[in-house]
Amino acid sequence: MSAASTTYYDRKGPLAALGRDGLLQIILIANTIIMLAPIVIMIFSAFKTTPQIFQSPFGIPDFTQVGNFVKIWTQTNFLRYLLNSFVVTGASMALILTLGTMAAYAIGRYQFTGSSFILMFFLAGLTLPLKLAIIPLFMLMRDLSVLNNQLSLIFVYTAMGLPTTVFIMTGFIRTLPNELEDAARMDGASEARIMWSIMLPLVRPAMVISGIQNVVPIWNDFFFPLVFIQNDDLKTLPQGLTTFMGEYTTDWGVLFSGLTLSAAPIIIIYIVLSRQFIAGMTSGAVK
Amino acid sequence: MNNRLIRIGTALAAVLIAAPALAQDLTFWSWRQEDRAAYEQFIDTFEAANPGITVKFETFEAANYNTILATALAGGTGPDVMMVRAYGGLENVAAAGYLEPLTTETVPALAEFSAPALAAESGRADGAIYAVPFASQTQLVIYNKALFDANGIAEPQTWDELVAASQKLKDAGVIPFANGTATAWQNETVTFGLGSSLMGKAFYDELMAGTTDFTDERFTGALAAVAEVAAQYFPDGFIGLDYPSAQQLFSSGMAGMFIGGSYELATFKTQNPDIELGVFAAPGKTAEDAKLVGLYFDGGYAANAAGANKEASLKFLNYLASKEFGQAFADTLSNISTVPGVTFGNPLLAEVNELNQSSIPYLMLAHFRYGEPSGSVLIQGEMQKLFSGQTTPEAIGTTLTEGLAAWYEPFKK
Amino acid sequence: MPHLRMTGRGLWITALIVPPLAFVALFIVYPIISAFAYAFFDWQGLRRGDFVGLENFHTVLFVEPYRSWTINAFKNNVIVFFALMVLQNGLGFILAYALWRGLPGARFHRIAVFLPVVLSTIIVAYLFKLFLHPLFGVVNISLRGIGLDWLAQPWLGQGNTAIWSLIAAQAWHMVGFPTLVFLAGMQRIPGEILDAVRMETESEWVKITGIVWPLVAPSATIVFTLLFVGAFNWFELPYIMAGLDGSPFGSTDVLGLYFYRTAFGNVSSGQQDFGLGSALAVLIFLFVAVIASTITVRLRAREIQL
Repeated sequence: MSAASTTYYDRKGPLAALGRDGLLQIILIANTIIMLAPIVIMIFSAFKTTPQIFQSPFGIPDFTQVGNFVKIWTQTNFLRYLLNSFVVTGASMALILTLGTMAAYAIGRYQFTGSSFILMFFLAGLTLPLKLAIIPLFMLMRDLSVLNNQLSLIFVYTAMGLPTTVFIMTGFIRTLPNELEDAARMDGASEARIMWSIMLPLVRPAMVISGIQNVVPIWNDFFFPLVFIQNDDLKTLPQGLTTFMGEYTTDWGVLFSGLTLSAAPIIIIYIVLSRQFIAGMTSGAVK
Repeated sequence: MNNRLIRIGTALAAVLIAAPALAQDLTFWSWRQEDRAAYEQFIDTFEAANPGITVKFETFEAANYNTILATALAGGTGPDVMMVRAYGGLENVAAAGYLEPLTTETVPALAEFSAPALAAESGRADGAIYAVPFASQTQLVIYNKALFDANGIAEPQTWDELVAASQKLKDAGVIPFANGTATAWQNETVTFGLGSSLMGKAFYDELMAGTTDFTDERFTGALAAVAEVAAQYFPDGFIGLDYPSAQQLFSSGMAGMFIGGSYELATFKTQNPDIELGVFAAPGKTAEDAKLVGLYFDGGYAANAAGANKEASLKFLNYLASKEFGQAFADTLSNISTVPGVTFGNPLLAEVNELNQSSIPYLMLAHFRYGEPSGSVLIQGEMQKLFSGQTTPEAIGTTLTEGLAAWYEPFKK
Repeated sequence: MPHLRMTGRGLWITALIVPPLAFVALFIVYPIISAFAYAFFDWQGLRRGDFVGLENFHTVLFVEPYRSWTINAFKNNVIVFFALMVLQNGLGFILAYALWRGLPGARFHRIAVFLPVVLSTIIVAYLFKLFLHPLFGVVNISLRGIGLDWLAQPWLGQGNTAIWSLIAAQAWHMVGFPTLVFLAGMQRIPGEILDAVRMETESEWVKITGIVWPLVAPSATIVFTLLFVGAFNWFELPYIMAGLDGSPFGSTDVLGLYFYRTAFGNVSSGQQDFGLGSALAVLIFLFVAVIASTITVRLRAREIQL
């Protein structure tokens, strides 16, 4: 919260502000209850048996009753889905950050013919809804023989993540001072050396922002696996969830614990890193 | 270490030389992921009888199977032998020339198969048979025997008896029918599982002959009767109830009847091993009206026309058309095999097989899925409208006839 | 910035720029251009047939049953867009304004409002599907529990409640996004401007409409554009909650579902038509691109005037 706005409200007449602030506080509290209730019910239900869920949906469960989770752990492909999601997301993120930094560094640090055109080319990718190109993408993946192969996902995610990454990183790299770089160049350091040991350590904050902005949609994506992946052992978490929900439709306790387990990794990371998450995910929209 | 390598090498060489010169590896694709164990067993039997041929069984998700198969065949990476759908679903692959046409010369057992079964696996344009049909499914009424007995209900012989039985269950605090219609395709199942006898064989024959269409009173009258039963005896809010929840209502013993396919029998048994099931064909108006079930064929086994091992593929298809296989298929997978002469040890299956003797085809799937809009898509949406009071049976008749006229020749004016 | 002098450096830049460029070219630009080309051909399954000109476009726009399907799906997208405009962006603005005050607990509220945003749409969709179950869902159980039996509806089974249930789930999922974008916009309003306004008026309303709103207009432009693009690409939530057919009777059918169904076929029709699917994709694409850029240009122009 900026200092200026705080000052402004501090100066307000206390009585006049009280009524309005009271109303706003009520709105906030009501909204927070609405935001959290479904998640709390989901987590509570994960520890209940199906009859308990039907009889007392709001009741606080016995948290030592972990039968649902044991079932998921031992009887389903859930762990495999989770692992696949880590592999696909991890590989995509590594590629996005590597390639994105390379492009942004070239555009941001060097002047060369066509650099602004190349930036425009990347930016064009920013606004195109790639879902609509799913038919040609499907054919392309077939021709590359990567249908039903996680490489297809990694390729698409990398391409989708590059525009925002290049956009954010180029802006950041341009703001970096030249002095260090020039000094190193005087000393005869190679361009690669300058990039690796002098500039890269400085761009880490921008990498975190671009990383978060891309990691959430990739981790959560459902559409591309739906089209590209058919083998159950290769499915990522959101897609695997549909298989799982279809198999256990009658056991609501297991369903809710499946949802809870799928949501857990990202909720935990979000709570720990909420500031970075909010900054990262809104960075495309906030200028 | 070196010695050991040499020994292994020698052993390998020996195996390679000993293997028949024409060792053939077949790939076999299926969408029945849940039947893998059974198929591995069938394949073992086949391989034991046919040394030199090995079959590799691969499964894919049912919902996307057609897309995957078409992709692979078009790209030249298709399997040697594959499960294919029936009717319109077969036509997509067959019309493109990917499948080897079968004759009674290449697969002699086909001569004994029933005509509707073969028709389901034939191309409309050329009439050629493209696959060995494997199973039929029946749309009928499944009931909970214990609940029927407890309330003194017998299998209904007339529509009024069906209504009376439902009322009895309702009065006893049991949901008469478990069905919900939020899942689109369930609407089609409910309509024909319950309404086939009301529509009648005569209507079906005339429809096929092109002398009547869906505005026929026998058809719209059946829809009205189905909608009335649904409004009275389906669960509260059934239009928002999805398919799995409906299954759950029935298998948990909260409901007395379930309108569905014979494929539900195994599911209900798995969900609740203690449940005692019965089946009957939904009755017509009077006891004299023929009680008809809706019958269709699931799919068949086909060979790749461009496959490298066609001879072995045909050998395998011959095995899949054999009585030996049909019997094993029926026994292991609890399905109605299409192979003639197969007997059913499971009394329920035997009863379904008995009911199949008096049937009409599951209408929309068998005849109206060859173009857009398909009859299935139309009836599903229209029945959902009818159930929520937004259309009338007569209007559905008109919508169906006019909609299908887009591609169905007999309806074109 | 150093100028290019040596070929060595030229090579270095090329090495840096070509791999990322290749990814974008191969997996974004090429498929999108191809989507346009595909739409002009007849397709048999995955095999490209003859060039048919505008026939696919003509079919999806003017030939029954496609015509009614297209219109119905488009109409639903429009409803979804305007409903979310109010529920998601409108509410988001109010929440942002409340958070901006820095009242006690604001930090906690801010984390809470954004929490659903990080969840997968699939999780949200299933969660609400279970909550809205006609017999066992927590919504109907609660309504019956407090004696409002008549309000306990088969939410996802009725044409008029199904689409609104989906919209509510979507608004719950995403309201945190506009909230925090607006909040960031408000936090950048210089204190002097606010002081100046305070001299002239005590009315909160004048302050919001006269100062806050115009000054967060750049955020609004972006939020509106993103919502528009998102609403017309809506797929995952209806796919899970209502199914590929837009059940019941197409009342939740949207362009995303319709496009996918046409291109890849569904269980109950088995038909698959890449030509018609591509034509739909091109139409959606052009529509979204034209309107989105119009929104941006229009709103940008307004920003400058103010």
